[in-house]
Amino acid sequence: MVLLQPDPFLNELTSMFERSTEKGSVWVTLKRSSMKCKATRKKMETAGETIEYRCLVRATDGKKTISTSLSARDYQKFQASYATVLKAHMNALKKRERKDKKKTAEPEKKQASSKKKSEPFKKPAAPASKASQ
Amino acid sequence: MVYIASWDEFAERSVQLFRADPHSSRYVMKYRHCDGKLVLKVTDNRECLKFKTDQAQDAKKMEKLTNIFFTLMVRGPDADISEASGKEQVEQVASKKGRGRRQ
Repeated sequence: MVLLQPDPFLNELTSMFERSTEKGSVWVTLKRSSMKCKATRKKMETAGETIEYRCLVRATDGKKTISTSLSARDYQKFQASYATVLKAHMNALKKRERKDKKKTAEPEKKQASSKKKSEPFKKPAAPASKASQ
Repeated sequence: MVYIASWDEFAERSVQLFRADPHSSRYVMKYRHCDGKLVLKVTDNRECLKFKTDQAQDAKKMEKLTNIFFTLMVRGPDADISEASGKEQVEQVASKKGRGRRQ
């Protein structure tokens, strides 16, 4: 486990996404952590000290594991850049269903039903012809 | 663990789960590019909530939830999460406007 600074972590995460396009997955885990072992934590608790918590972010592609920890100061910046990285690489997900239906349905319709397409044109034409009569 | 079908239910229950035990809860996102699948998991090692999707629109919702969890984990379980989700909405509207003008 390599503990990186937030920016190198994002770079490494990006290359992880790029490496796993053909096969494999990427896992990203968020956890609230004080970055201290249980014993130290208990000591601090009994001593009445306040424990500073950070957000531990871990990422793995199954072979390599990287991690970073975020303080209250830099998490908002990280959050924004992390969202950008995800947006750039999560492009295998399906777009909205409506668009998908249109895309898949249109080629079929063109061949199968020329009648259906002409119908909507007839309907507005009919009342217009009545009006003219 | 069975996948939760409704996003809203997943989001609500996962935040509840975290707040109940912040020490042992974690939030995991798994993305599989070749199958185009996204799985979210929140667990405290006793209860496990999972959500699976292949829709791009759910990735946006996931982003919001991720931001909520960042806030909860850094600021503590009592942090105000309405702020985190609200800010994101404003950003999204702004980015949508930007896209429209470019096109």
